[in-house]
Amino acid sequence: MNTLPQQLANGLLLGSMYGLIAIGYTMVYGIVQLINFAHGEIFMTGAFGALTVYLYILPDGTNMLVAVPLMLIGGAIVAVLIAVGAERFAYRPLRGAPRLAPLITAIGLSLALQEVVRNFYPGADRARAFPGLDATHDIGSVTIKDADIFLILAAIVCMSGLAWFVRKSRTGRAMQATAQDPDTAQLMGIDTNRIIVVAFAIGGFFAAVAAVAYGLKYGNVDYRMGFLMGLKAFTAAVLGGIGNIYGAMLGGIVLGIAETLASAYIDEIPGMQQLGGQSWANVWAFCLLILVLLFRPQGLLGERVADRA
Amino acid sequence: MTTPVLEARDVTMRFGGLTAVRSVDFTVNSGEIVGLIGPNGAGKTTFFNCLTGLYVPTEGTVSYQGTVLPPKPHLVTKAGIARTFQNIRLFANMTVLENVLVGRHTRTKEGLWSALLRGPGFKKAERDSEERAMELLEFIGLAHKRDHLARNLPYGEQRKLEIARALASEPGLLLLDEPTAGMNPQETRTTEELVFAIRDRGVAVLVIEHDMRFIFNLCDRVAVLVQGEKLVEGTSDVVQADERVVAAYLGEPFEGDPSTTKGEVQ
Repeated sequence: MNTLPQQLANGLLLGSMYGLIAIGYTMVYGIVQLINFAHGEIFMTGAFGALTVYLYILPDGTNMLVAVPLMLIGGAIVAVLIAVGAERFAYRPLRGAPRLAPLITAIGLSLALQEVVRNFYPGADRARAFPGLDATHDIGSVTIKDADIFLILAAIVCMSGLAWFVRKSRTGRAMQATAQDPDTAQLMGIDTNRIIVVAFAIGGFFAAVAAVAYGLKYGNVDYRMGFLMGLKAFTAAVLGGIGNIYGAMLGGIVLGIAETLASAYIDEIPGMQQLGGQSWANVWAFCLLILVLLFRPQGLLGERVADRA
Repeated sequence: MTTPVLEARDVTMRFGGLTAVRSVDFTVNSGEIVGLIGPNGAGKTTFFNCLTGLYVPTEGTVSYQGTVLPPKPHLVTKAGIARTFQNIRLFANMTVLENVLVGRHTRTKEGLWSALLRGPGFKKAERDSEERAMELLEFIGLAHKRDHLARNLPYGEQRKLEIARALASEPGLLLLDEPTAGMNPQETRTTEELVFAIRDRGVAVLVIEHDMRFIFNLCDRVAVLVQGEKLVEGTSDVVQADERVVAAYLGEPFEGDPSTTKGEVQ
């Protein structure tokens, strides 16, 4: 089981999930220079939105091929609404305020969302079972689940769609323009408020996709799941160069693979037997972040700040 | 011929206790090139910002073709006023063509779904938009550089590209904020020709400039703003001959100083 190709595949899958969530951080940061620390919770509410569709809307025993797309739609509606609502009611009134204000608002919002789900979603104070896609396939020496196939396909479709959207569509061009210079963009007739809403909505949608993949893969969700995943995805965004969508995906994959390989193999290094295993995975992930920040503060694909200004 | 395109009535802009612009009346007619001059700190740029919706005037109204302008910059652009900037503010990391396409933002429509599905309507709109953008690039003579990044263009071409980007929104009025700043005499001359050519396309032009020769060659009418108030307005000759203008730029002449008795702006 623990062959190198298997570990690489595990890392790639975990990393794709980080990358999908990281898109939300990086797009919002790229356009309004805000780190939306509530994004992890938007991911979490996406998971509960999808779970709601499964538990309370779909009849029992619905074929998963039908159920998954509907769950995806449910999760996306919830996550996008919360992301856009957060922008409208929590962040927009603070536009132009000192940066600390929206940052603290984001942290407050993240706690609020956690507590709302914990107190009002039935049974959400403990892990709730999520329908898994556990059938496995062997590809050479690598074993993957159906959930993994969903994840990798979703990541490829979403990322290539986004790359096309940002580069080629009219709204995407307006997004680039707004990211480079919001005042000028306005004077070129771009409704920058609308562009910001679109950025939040895309982030929420990607988070919901990642959340459904998470539930299908791990088989349960809980109100705290957004915290660590959000932190890792933020790390991935910074690692790849915050503000850059390709950087977010690359950062996610690098982080996922590094974390997986480190927890699998580091205990084979003499003297480091104590440091292997899953419990150390986060330590290695954040060590990697520190290293990157020390030697390449702008991230893997980031541009120097001077170029952005 | 003299239908007003832009009408500013009694525009006052205060920042706290400071009055940057004080009850300025100002009109630009169709087919006109109008200049706005004044010493540094006279309130020219503040007045410009009132016209483009960046500032909402404390008092007074600005109307474009008879309608009062909405206080949102993107709606002002949509209404038909485009501008360039004193300091170049191109989207540096986009290509020349992309910059112009961004300028066309308000003149193109695209639903989210048609974009995602890339229907035939979308492709056609996209092609039309590109054609119009290329036509503008040819107009300013930068068509051969369509795929260069804006930041890699030489200074004079960046200025031209800014003008093309502004024209892309198909304005009825173009505001140029110091279009020749930092240009050599030859570049200034080509800019002059460009502005005339823009007027010939049916776009009224309002220019802020420090280069007096440029302004007086170019403009049908010149207004002088001093300390937030409109001092004089008239043809180049009238303005050049006005002693108050000279005084505002150079200070009051000494009694009997032979070099300033002629009263001409150098």
